[in-house]
Amino acid sequence: MARLAMLIDLKACVGCAACSVACKMENEVPVGGSRLWIREREMGTFPNLTVEYRPEQCAHCENPPCVPVCPTGATYQNEEGLVLVDYHKCIACSACVAACPYDARFISKAGYVEKCTFCAHRLARNEEPACVTTCPTYARVFGDLDDPDSDINKAIQAAGQGHVLRPELGLKPKVIYVNPPSKQGLTRKEAQL
Amino acid sequence: MSEFFYGIPNTEPFWTGLKTLHYVLVGLAGGMAVLAAILTLRQHPDRNRYLWLAGLFILLDMFVLWAGSSARWYFSQFWLFLSFEPRAPIWWGTWGLSSALASVGLILLKTWVPLLKRIPEMLLGTVMLVGGLVALAYPGIALVVNENRPVWNEMMLVIFPVTALLMVLAVAMLLGSAWARRWEVMAAAVTVALLVAYPLTLQGEAREHFMREGLLVYATAGVLVAVALVLFRNPRLAAGLGLAGAVGLRWMLVQVGQIQAPGL
Repeated sequence: MARLAMLIDLKACVGCAACSVACKMENEVPVGGSRLWIREREMGTFPNLTVEYRPEQCAHCENPPCVPVCPTGATYQNEEGLVLVDYHKCIACSACVAACPYDARFISKAGYVEKCTFCAHRLARNEEPACVTTCPTYARVFGDLDDPDSDINKAIQAAGQGHVLRPELGLKPKVIYVNPPSKQGLTRKEAQL
Repeated sequence: MSEFFYGIPNTEPFWTGLKTLHYVLVGLAGGMAVLAAILTLRQHPDRNRYLWLAGLFILLDMFVLWAGSSARWYFSQFWLFLSFEPRAPIWWGTWGLSSALASVGLILLKTWVPLLKRIPEMLLGTVMLVGGLVALAYPGIALVVNENRPVWNEMMLVIFPVTALLMVLAVAMLLGSAWARRWEVMAAAVTVALLVAYPLTLQGEAREHFMREGLLVYATAGVLVAVALVLFRNPRLAAGLGLAGAVGLRWMLVQVGQIQAPGL
């Protein structure tokens, strides 16, 4: 069983938001909600200034808090570790929205819960997620954490260390950041990948 | 440090309007089912009146829950009853309310449907009691499981059932049931104690957020329940104040607690 994950190199990310636009286009995400957004932080004082661009999205946690709270089983984890929503079972109770520590879910205008799927429909065609193929600086790497030869594992090794958001919750999120200029939200504990 | 966004993080409140109202009504529905079940099991003469009320509140709560869902016209609503998800508090709440409603319905229908007389009333009363207790407890559990939302801490497990009983006993007092008075005084006293203790259990930014966004309603609710405690010689006024305080408190906790824990 694969453990699909996304690595984002924050040193390479220039905050162009092409990933966000590609996600909207690929998944026809309606106005008013986002499956993927960029957090921009300006830090320090002149002349010691830093800007961080941090894309955020569903982290497809290994221990997802959104799955057990779903009363209909609409939110589930598939064999590859992707956390997905069966729209036909979703009652829009927002229990999963409340449980998500990354604000990654929202109720769409169609009436059910939406979130990043790592472009599961593209993965089924052996294509990478739209945000990965669109990134002009190659800041995103997608792959299987269980495969030691995968690009994502090589990228983590090259960076020396991977970080995840809010590691203190023990959710084992699978959106991994490397080379973060600021470590806000990333540093409470070493990331456990 | 300043922050900007490209795209929109989904930080808007997710339980608003009718969904928040459900967190108030489910207390009345579950609490009334517990009350009706106890009266049924004890063969109390007030039994029928409270059975009707329990049925009414449960139906009203279920209607509000359904009307508040953006998926209200989809078949997915039936999945609540076709799924087996015992890890989900809402699944338990659904079955708690449904089993209590079914028991209420069967007991009331006994008058007109002779076939139903074979079902022992003790059995139906027990099912109603269990279902009512589940509905009473479920909102607090549904909030506490969200470890990322620090305002909803373990105190919710006590505050929600106690305020539900406060509301239900207040309704009983407004209806003139003298037996409710003693229990209402106890529920009000426990609620005041919980209201004093709860802010002390909050820490850091969660406490600041709570004080900034919810203090006014919280303090008002606390004063209403405390005044009710003093005015119990005037049962109807005390019941009205207790009911208003409990409603305001539950509403406020659901609204204000939707803040995400700091850290992102």
